[in-house]
Amino acid sequence: MFSIKNLQYRYPNNEEDTIKGIDFEIKTGEIFGLLGPSGVGKSTTQKILTRQLDNFRGEIRYQDKSITEYDKNFYQDIGVGFEMPVHFSKLTAEENLDFFKKLYSSRADTDQMLKRLGLYSDKDKKVGEFSKGMKVRLNFIRALLNNPRMLFLDEPTNGLDPKNARIIKNMIAEFKAEGGTVLLTTHLMNDVEELCDQVAFMADGKIVEINTPKNLKLEYGSRQLKVEYSDNAEVKEANFKLDDLGENQKFLQVIKNNRILTMHSQEMTLDNIFIKITGGS
Amino acid sequence: MTVFLTLFLGELQRMKKYHILTASILVSFFWIGMLHLIEVPDITAFFMILVFFDIVSMAIVMIGVTIFFEKQEGVLKSLFVAPINRLEFISSKTIANLISNLITIAIVYLYALIVQDININVVGLLLAIILIGTFHSFVGFLIVYRSKGFTEMLIGMMKYFIVFMIPVALEEFGLITGDLFSNILFLLPTKASSTLITATTGGPITGEVILATVYLLIGTLVLAYFVNKGFRKFVIRESGV
Repeated sequence: MFSIKNLQYRYPNNEEDTIKGIDFEIKTGEIFGLLGPSGVGKSTTQKILTRQLDNFRGEIRYQDKSITEYDKNFYQDIGVGFEMPVHFSKLTAEENLDFFKKLYSSRADTDQMLKRLGLYSDKDKKVGEFSKGMKVRLNFIRALLNNPRMLFLDEPTNGLDPKNARIIKNMIAEFKAEGGTVLLTTHLMNDVEELCDQVAFMADGKIVEINTPKNLKLEYGSRQLKVEYSDNAEVKEANFKLDDLGENQKFLQVIKNNRILTMHSQEMTLDNIFIKITGGS
Repeated sequence: MTVFLTLFLGELQRMKKYHILTASILVSFFWIGMLHLIEVPDITAFFMILVFFDIVSMAIVMIGVTIFFEKQEGVLKSLFVAPINRLEFISSKTIANLISNLITIAIVYLYALIVQDININVVGLLLAIILIGTFHSFVGFLIVYRSKGFTEMLIGMMKYFIVFMIPVALEEFGLITGDLFSNILFLLPTKASSTLITATTGGPITGEVILATVYLLIGTLVLAYFVNKGFRKFVIRESGV
């Protein structure tokens, strides 16, 4: 759906490129996570892809056509979810959604989304009276109100309670299941692990790693099993290599003769991979 | 409904909700108060000065305030990722701004008509308001483009009022006279605006009026070019750069 080749970008008045030649591809129907610490170029990349920034170098193709060849109707196809509030505070939630909806040719059932996200009873309330979490949920509806094919989401669950975060994650997964494509920017590695098919880590304007979350965990983790067991009322811990686990006599004895407390394979968490890959930047 | 119409009606809705229209009407009551207090046999000349003040200042201030609200609330970001082109954005704001100008002046005009039977070419005044209001709305856009915050925007507006409005006002009130001063004032768009407004009180169409009209028409086109050209840079800045 999106193909990015040797993308470079320098802000006016800057001496150095913010984006220093990145390549990646977002396939139709996948959720692509763009990760990295603040200031490495994630938002800039997203702004270039959503055509908020131009004068980039390199090539960006959307649906096999350069994004520079699209007119304003490019925005009929995409939805952008912002982290910060983006609504008229003195208008009600419904007035806001109605205004934005009329700008598009395809219009989603926003009442149904308001109901699902627990905002329907507050739809006649001014957005200025909304809590932070309510504004985040309204932002998410704003991104979906034109039935987009491609969704750009920036920290969609940030500031939400677990219940509403779950609803949003379910809605993202459903959007994908219906053929939608997502570029997700977040610091919440649980969301990444749960939702993303592919993730790219950015550091200093470059992509330093692209892979599936599962492969990354295997690549950066150690192939070991950590076992915690009780031995004569004493808690003990042992590590065993996964490769010859079935023939490892010590392991077999431990599980046969002791009460097992915990048992964990030692693949690395995405949080640790994040720190390891981007930590030096 | 076209995108332009949605944007335009949205502007009007927000003018009401954000009490911009109320403020505009309050300003017209302020002008009415001034007309009421002034003790002259014919209020026409004073009415024209008020019209001049209102269109020039309010056109600039209203554009600044509406865009500032949208910027403050992050709405500009949301608008800039919607299927809107710059012409639709700029024209919807400008025309909504003109509506606000027309409402204020219509209220003051109705009062003047009730108190005294003032003789004004209404169609001429309407056209003058559209031309002057458009010109100064574009001035408002350019001030917003150049301002990073609200204070900077207010300073930009004050600079315009001091440099361009006050000298013309001083001449209108007869506080500064002299041919040289009058001729120099013709360099200012505010003098052309004042000339055009005064012309709607009757009398022949003089060379001065034609010159003022041509000045404002060309000036509006030149400003439209810069407003259009600067829009992209403004979008990039407001997107959070």
